[in-house]
Amino acid sequence: MNTLLFSIKRFDGKHSWVQDYRLPYATDTLLGCLTKIREQQDPTLNFTSACRHAICGSCAIRVNGSAFLACETQIDDLITTYQSHRFVLEPLAHFKVIRDLVVDFDPVAEKEKNFKPWLIERDDRHDHLQSQSDFHKIAAPADCIMCGMCASECRELNYETGNYPGPFILNKVYRYLRDSRDGAHEERVHVVLDNDLWKCIHCQQCTTKCAKKIPIADEISFMRRQALSMGETNSMGARHAYSFYNDVRKTGKLNETMLALHTEGMYKTLKNRIPFAMRMVVAGKMNPLDMPRPIKGIKDVRKLYEFSQTIQKED
Amino acid sequence: MASLRYAFFPGCTLESAASELKTATELTCSALGMKLNEIEGWTCCGAAQVQDVDDFLGVAINARNIALAEQAGYDKILTVCNTCTLMLRTAKKRLDEDAALKEKVNEALAESGLEYKGTCEITHYLWALKDDIGIDNLKAHIRVPLTGLHVANYYGCHILMPPSVMGYENPRNPQSMETIAEALGATNVDFEQRLACCGFHSIYPAEQEALTSNGVSCLTAREAGADCIVTPCPLCHMALDMWQPDSQKKFTEDITMPILHLPQLVGLAMGFSPQELGIDHHIINALPMIKRVLGGWDAS
Repeated sequence: MNTLLFSIKRFDGKHSWVQDYRLPYATDTLLGCLTKIREQQDPTLNFTSACRHAICGSCAIRVNGSAFLACETQIDDLITTYQSHRFVLEPLAHFKVIRDLVVDFDPVAEKEKNFKPWLIERDDRHDHLQSQSDFHKIAAPADCIMCGMCASECRELNYETGNYPGPFILNKVYRYLRDSRDGAHEERVHVVLDNDLWKCIHCQQCTTKCAKKIPIADEISFMRRQALSMGETNSMGARHAYSFYNDVRKTGKLNETMLALHTEGMYKTLKNRIPFAMRMVVAGKMNPLDMPRPIKGIKDVRKLYEFSQTIQKED
Repeated sequence: MASLRYAFFPGCTLESAASELKTATELTCSALGMKLNEIEGWTCCGAAQVQDVDDFLGVAINARNIALAEQAGYDKILTVCNTCTLMLRTAKKRLDEDAALKEKVNEALAESGLEYKGTCEITHYLWALKDDIGIDNLKAHIRVPLTGLHVANYYGCHILMPPSVMGYENPRNPQSMETIAEALGATNVDFEQRLACCGFHSIYPAEQEALTSNGVSCLTAREAGADCIVTPCPLCHMALDMWQPDSQKKFTEDITMPILHLPQLVGLAMGFSPQELGIDHHIINALPMIKRVLGGWDAS
């Protein structure tokens, strides 16, 4: 097949439509193809780009529903991935669309200000020095190029109804949280807690699609541990995590019957979960009388807990 | 073909809310010549929760799980849950790549006479079907081709991502589920939620979002002409099946969609009855659909 077909979602500020563009096949990047289309076929097609070297983060778009950085994406790789020469191009999800493939970062940048994405220096800081190991703690999160792909892919943001900020804002908080020169540690943890830190599903989309391979899901786990170590254990998410942690120590296995009770408390469980529990019992999926018995070797498992308490951890 | 031996890691859900999956897994594996021996003394994998409390412990409990399988003489662990697979493989990757961590974990395990060596691989039922059994061999075991059954494949996140840990196939466009379903004689339908997230791991703090997402999954599968959604993960199954009546409340349209475990789909094609495969233990009754499409079984 010698023709590439790009079905591009257009938007002129009022109306949306899908417009097809064809190019003869050639080895090129996705951004190269978009540039050819604009220069040779349609000067009204809007998209953003600048550095062409995966540094500025301005050319991220969706191909067949999945976010890519157009400048570093080879057409040959897309053909291999999708086994097709036709690609549906759309703007990033979870951003306001300005025109065609151009999205508006301003509202997100405004939102990010609530998380103080700047250094709040420690009171006792006398110079700018930072050890190599301290620098390495912020090297990965500082690589973020704000391309927005993680936010576009974030499964929680798909139907988010609350304050959840999405991955790159959480990455920015983590970046300053780990900075040895920063003095706003507890304040930063409280801000992310107040913005639904425990809503992250750990779906791993952000970590997977990040243009700079930043392990954002691991960073979110770190911030949750920080919150717990500060005594912030009385949220549904925290209680849910502790249910697993405590059950493994007790018997080695999760007690599913008690999970809702541990997570939501007695009042909410009785209020919300009776129909759920009833249909589980009727279908034979739950036996309220069946409590897990300790596994063989449970004492060995508890030794791991004791050992873990004795070692020094990064966090 | 040499007999295939696996250390079997069922995971907690197979002991309780998804016990029908254990039945279907053991039944189909046995018929396919896959010998499963449950790891004695296994614990919960941490379920993408324990690392949020204690990162070291999250690795250590899975090092113990793997060490138990190694000590019993196995070189491959088989799970049937996406998250169990991810948790075990994450621990393995970190231990294999970080000598200091491995030494520390082994110091902890030594108190129990165990050692993590790193000789055991971790695979999933879906991958084992495709690679260890093989598509041609799988086809040779089909007794009831699933002709006319329209399947919406729902991968779930943790069997695909992060690719640095999982790496079996491209998470942007995986094909293993479609390959299996096609081999069984079913027809794959493309639907927009194929790579959606069931939201299970934050289904309490973000329940409303998960209910909406899963309702959309059921609805779009219906609109694409699917008879059922099939998933390789019991956690996705729980979120899509057990919570489906709650999802329904968010929609005016009927979203009813039977959800099958992958081993149940395989088992149907191998000639096992829906009852033998525990399909009668689902919240959304799949039996009328099976009778309507495949016929032959008593759906009463």
